[in-house]
Amino acid sequence: MTQPKKKAQTARDEPPTLEGRLKRLEEILSQLEADEVELERALVLFEEGVALVRDAEKVLSETELRVEELLARGGTAPLEEEGA
Amino acid sequence: MDALWVSGEVANFTRSRQGHCYFTLKDDRAQLRCVLFARDAARLPTDPQEGMQLRVFGSLTLYEARGDYQLTARRVEAEGGEGLWRLAFEKLRSRLEAEGLLDPAGKRRLPRFPGTVGVVTSPTGAALHDILTVLRRRAPWVRVLVRPTRVQGEGASQEIAAALAALDESGLADVIIVGRGGGSVEDLWAFNEEPVARAIAACATPVVSAVGHEVDVTISDLVADLRAPTPSAAAEAVTPDRAAVLEQLAGVPERLARGLRGTLERRRLRLDRSLSRVARAMERRLVAPRQEADLAAARLERGLLRLLERRRSQLSGAAGRLHALSPLAVLERGYSVARTREGKVLRRVEELPAGRTFVLRVVDGTVACASAGPLGPLEGEGT
Repeated sequence: MTQPKKKAQTARDEPPTLEGRLKRLEEILSQLEADEVELERALVLFEEGVALVRDAEKVLSETELRVEELLARGGTAPLEEEGA
Repeated sequence: MDALWVSGEVANFTRSRQGHCYFTLKDDRAQLRCVLFARDAARLPTDPQEGMQLRVFGSLTLYEARGDYQLTARRVEAEGGEGLWRLAFEKLRSRLEAEGLLDPAGKRRLPRFPGTVGVVTSPTGAALHDILTVLRRRAPWVRVLVRPTRVQGEGASQEIAAALAALDESGLADVIIVGRGGGSVEDLWAFNEEPVARAIAACATPVVSAVGHEVDVTISDLVADLRAPTPSAAAEAVTPDRAAVLEQLAGVPERLARGLRGTLERRRLRLDRSLSRVARAMERRLVAPRQEADLAAARLERGLLRLLERRRSQLSGAAGRLHALSPLAVLERGYSVARTREGKVLRRVEELPAGRTFVLRVVDGTVACASAGPLGPLEGEGT
């Protein structure tokens, strides 16, 4: 059974992951720090970068761990933790 | 008959198609035939090697068809602790190694910031509890996706393998932790079996193996992309520390601003450079025309001067000629002109009968005159 790559699957349904955001941030930084960006582009990248930092900080301030169970049919449900 | 332990060297170990095992235990003085039925044989990690020292627990029974006593074994262990387990481990390990499944170069890198952490373990075990505790403290933003499974007992390794495959195929986990808490060698055994090893190797998702305590190394640990000494350590290995990430993020806006300033600066430098390049190019291109213009101006000036000179000399020549033709010059030489008052020039004698008044023009003025009549033929010219 061939399965589409997971990135394509999650990217559509969910907001970008922390990893996605941080990766994009790295891209932006390396582009801004390299030589070849147009000024207008640099401004756009700068703004996007600042927004990503804010988003990432918001994600990191999350305090509630989500614990789910992968069900037999492929769906997920919150996991009942014993003694938790 | 009571059960008893018998120890000796194993010989002629065979396994029937039904899974029953037959062998002989012997020492230098005696030998005893043994049978281990399939049900119990399934718990053997591997077949013992010829000559291995075994301890066998069982009871003596009579094999009536042949009239022989034999030991019906219930448990078979190698002398010296983990002999059989060790043997099974080494056998599987060398087979997997030959296939390249243990190759360090084949290890996948773990994601640095996984969004979803998959966990394959017992839903009631200490491992899950430990993993969740660490994640709550360290990376509470992640989503944990558990695929519960039995981790010990018969068929556990197939169950673990199936759970791994299901989690991997769901495509939901960015990294998978497979493991369990501490236990005896037998308890951990599922993680030394081939189905788990193959399932880990087949995962597209990076897998961290965390089985038992620090000292326990399993086949699962060797095949996985990372071996964590304990489940808690696995949870730490798959997630970044929140404080570290926040610290890293704190420096980013400054880096962004520096990047932007750098871009501006580079832009300005480039503009300066190209401006001066244009200026230099224009300079170069102007040199020849400017020289030409200079030359042309000089030539023009010389030409003008020459022309002026020529005109001037022409003019003075003309003035001389003009002067020579002027009636004034004739008058200057002593000639005069007689004219009527009306200005008609009187040239001939017959025009000047006696009594005729006329006007005589001399060089410096006019004189009114009257003719006294003709004098006769001319005496001489010019006077």
